Amino acid sequence: MRNAPGFLPPDPRVEEPYRLTPQLAVRIAIIGVVAIALFGALFFRLWALQVISGAEYLADAQNNQVRTFRVQANRGPILDRDGDVLVSNRPGTRVQLWPAALDELPQAQRSQMIQELGKLLDLGPQEIRETLKKHRDDPLTPVTIKDGVKREKVVYLLEHQARFPGVQVTQIELRRYERGTMAAQVLGYVSEISREQLDAREGSDYAPGDRIGQGGVEAAYDRYLRGVAGVGQVRVDAMGRVTSNREFSQMPEAGFAVKLTLDADLQAAAEDALDYGIRLAHENGDWAADGGAIVAMDPNTGELLAVASSPTFDPSVYVGRVRPKALERLAAPEANSPTLNRAIAGLYPPASAFKPVIALAAIHEGFLSPAELIQCSPQIEVGDDKQVFRNWDPYRNEPMELTTALAASCDTYFYEVALRAYERPDTPFQKWASRMGFGSTTGVDIGPESEGLVPTPAWRRRHFEHPWDKEWRPGDSVQLSIGQGDMLVTPLQMARFYALIANGGLLVEPRIVKQIEQPSTESGAPVVIRPFTAPKPKDIGLDPNAVAIVQEGLYDATHSSYGTSTAVFGEFPVAIAGKTGTAEKFVTLPGFQGLMDQSWFCGYGPREQAEIVVCALIENGGHGGEAAAPAALKVFESYFNVQPGSYAAQAVESD
Amino acid sequence: MAVRVADTRRRPEVSIGGEAGRILRNLDYVLLGAVAALVAYGLWVLASVSRNDVPGDPDFFLVRQSVNVAIGVAVLALTTALNPELYRRLRVPLYAAALILLAIVFVADQVRGTRRWIDIGFFQFQPSEIGKALLILVLAGFLADRARRLDEWGTTMGAVGLAAVPAVLVFLEPDLGTALVYVAILGAALFVAGTRWLHLATLATVGVLTVVSLFWLFPAVGIQVLEEYQIERLTGFLDPDHDPDGATYNVTQSITAVGSGGLDGRGVEGATQTNMNYLPEHSTDFIFSSLAEQRGFFGAALLLLLYGLVVWRAIRTIALAPSLFTAIVAGAIVVAFVFQVFVNVGMTIGVAPITGIPLPFVSYGGSSMLVTLGLIGLLQAIHVRGRLALER
Repeated sequence: MRNAPGFLPPDPRVEEPYRLTPQLAVRIAIIGVVAIALFGALFFRLWALQVISGAEYLADAQNNQVRTFRVQANRGPILDRDGDVLVSNRPGTRVQLWPAALDELPQAQRSQMIQELGKLLDLGPQEIRETLKKHRDDPLTPVTIKDGVKREKVVYLLEHQARFPGVQVTQIELRRYERGTMAAQVLGYVSEISREQLDAREGSDYAPGDRIGQGGVEAAYDRYLRGVAGVGQVRVDAMGRVTSNREFSQMPEAGFAVKLTLDADLQAAAEDALDYGIRLAHENGDWAADGGAIVAMDPNTGELLAVASSPTFDPSVYVGRVRPKALERLAAPEANSPTLNRAIAGLYPPASAFKPVIALAAIHEGFLSPAELIQCSPQIEVGDDKQVFRNWDPYRNEPMELTTALAASCDTYFYEVALRAYERPDTPFQKWASRMGFGSTTGVDIGPESEGLVPTPAWRRRHFEHPWDKEWRPGDSVQLSIGQGDMLVTPLQMARFYALIANGGLLVEPRIVKQIEQPSTESGAPVVIRPFTAPKPKDIGLDPNAVAIVQEGLYDATHSSYGTSTAVFGEFPVAIAGKTGTAEKFVTLPGFQGLMDQSWFCGYGPREQAEIVVCALIENGGHGGEAAAPAALKVFESYFNVQPGSYAAQAVESD
Repeated sequence: MAVRVADTRRRPEVSIGGEAGRILRNLDYVLLGAVAALVAYGLWVLASVSRNDVPGDPDFFLVRQSVNVAIGVAVLALTTALNPELYRRLRVPLYAAALILLAIVFVADQVRGTRRWIDIGFFQFQPSEIGKALLILVLAGFLADRARRLDEWGTTMGAVGLAAVPAVLVFLEPDLGTALVYVAILGAALFVAGTRWLHLATLATVGVLTVVSLFWLFPAVGIQVLEEYQIERLTGFLDPDHDPDGATYNVTQSITAVGSGGLDGRGVEGATQTNMNYLPEHSTDFIFSSLAEQRGFFGAALLLLLYGLVVWRAIRTIALAPSLFTAIVAGAIVVAFVFQVFVNVGMTIGVAPITGIPLPFVSYGGSSMLVTLGLIGLLQAIHVRGRLALER
């Protein structure tokens, strides 16, 4: 009864009376102790977190929402020597994705969004996933999905933002190639820095996601073009949404303009000339003609006026997010390496165009006198095994002095000279060829450049396995004397050598960048930040008289009745001196493997006070006078403003 | 005697007033004050934590929680007024009601992959919360009835069976946290009722073995009773730095928030972890982290002290209880309360696993507020009846 204080009658089932048993008291005490222990644990943990380590966690929390961001500076333009713009920038849009925001979505919604986004941006969902995967270690930095997205698509994205959580659209600057494919290999292109490039530049101010020049001027002068990236901090919430103004600790500084020595008009003419030369070759039945290079250079300074390489490509395929298919097309065998700059990296035997090197070497080493008469016979037998070497013209059999031999490009004349050189212990041809810049890079300010090869007895011993091959034989000297055998040069090396003849014996260093400029503003003229004055041409110890004789031979080659390109240059109003070459090179083409004629012409003009050197090469283009010389003529026409057709020009058979 | 005379005289005119008077005179005002302070503090915390959550309406959560508090106070008044013995008689219908409510959620719509709520138009009701209160009453009634047979395994197993059905239902919702609260309630009820230590020890052993098999043994042989994410969340706190899939992202952010609060907090505007949504669910499950970030150790400790006050008064009430039934009820309420506070606060500071248990009086949520205040009313009722019984 005692426990029924209120209005209910006691429950008969209950055992009464109830009292607090000692057992229950103990258990209540246990509950109390446990409660105290648990609360005590919470207190201690809080104390440890907040009071003892509070400062650390505060720093963590502050770092949590501060993101360092990097803004690429506007890349500097690339100008030709007259200031005409070759490469500039255009505004583009970049679509990015916040991985953190994506993680918030349920799996199904996430894959549906990626699916839709891919469809909109013409990307496979797999491609997007791969991109995201690459940036998996940093969920709080947006990942670039695509650059250069079209306007309609951006508008669609912005209008349907709710369906694309975590997608962000920003403005960026994209490269614009004002002249399309012009000078594509020289200019290079720009793309996101790769992991390998980043590792190679450790300690520099390149950061992941930066854009960097790839190839050509873009790569070689990247540090001037790129400017200074802006760095700053911004506050973001857990979803990566920006919640504060951007505060720059370093404002982005636009890159400098790079002014080239190239002349846009001459460059265009050179590229047209290259196509013309290839077309000519086709018309002559040389159907395999499929590429080539033309180098135009100021022979006094080494400034490159035009550097053409065919086939070429459209550098804008690298703008924005690169489509792998477009790259595959560039890399396909049918494309014939369009990104290779054949002018500085292509390797070919120089053939007869190399004969002036032999002549100069022989004169300086004293085993050839220019006035000496040597029989230009149809063929000679060389060595113990009586190997037969022929002249290209089997009907000629007369004594010649050097100028005639150069003009008529008599092979057997040079074979005789070669046999004299073979007797000498100091490899005079190779020594002089090296001095004249063959077998090593020219030091031109863009790359990658090929070294070429000047074969020496030492090289033969190093390079070959078989004892027979290891030996340097008279035949090797004979081959070298007409620029065949293992000799390999780049068109640029040839242009540099003809510049040496044109300027009276000085070796120039080829350059393609004239100066770095502060881009011109509305009001003022551009300010030159850094001029790259051409280094003083190197005197390699040539006798001006010897050079003058070679000059004469080269003038005869383009003007005398027996000259190999008289038909091309004989009537040209400006006195051009130059030499053809027809180089046999072992090539592998679809359905063909064997020797093919590489068509060469190198020359300069005007004869007395040379302003320009032109070297043209047409791959598989047949004889030098048939394809390369007419192509070179086009460049001279453009440079000297001579109307085509105002004089007679036709190709004849030549070497 | 004087009291009795006064009673008989007044009863015909104002019997309710007389009853009300007796209740008011015997209330635990310390408990009431502590709860009032907690509710007020909780509202203030919720208001500051949720200021930036609904754009353009900084008081969105405050207004709604205030309504919850108002209803809760009414519930508290009601449970204070009713004689607890009433529930003991009604325990069979109460148990049936609990099971029906818990079963209904399985036919109702899913919210975010879980079935916890019953939508009754203006209010989303969470049966598992009221299930706590009902389970306490049902278990206490069952054990009090068998007060003389507590030594028997039948009694113990009966109680286990009674608790197991709702606990499993809640577990299947899935709401592991609340299911664990049910287990705590069962333990508390048996413990206070006076179940033999042997039984308790046996049950504890079985419990440990169950946990071990759920987490390690069954998954090892390919049987998944718990979802992968549940295991990760429950075991993640043991090693928060090992986090391959972000399972403990919440804990890391929560600990950072708590720690960054320091001694006196970062204030409402300075609490970046809260304001920039690094803290998930900071109005509900992780509200303690936000409090600790905004108000620092002082603010967090104040809350814990208020909880301590409530717990102290509630433990006192067990001893004051006028019957075994009410003692068990009070004991189970104390344990459930301590369990929830510890697990919720503990999970925000990395000493307890992550489970979706609300923080009593502070987390936003109507069901929790109503039930918690109702249970406080129940404690008051027990206190009143205990005091009155002592007077006689």
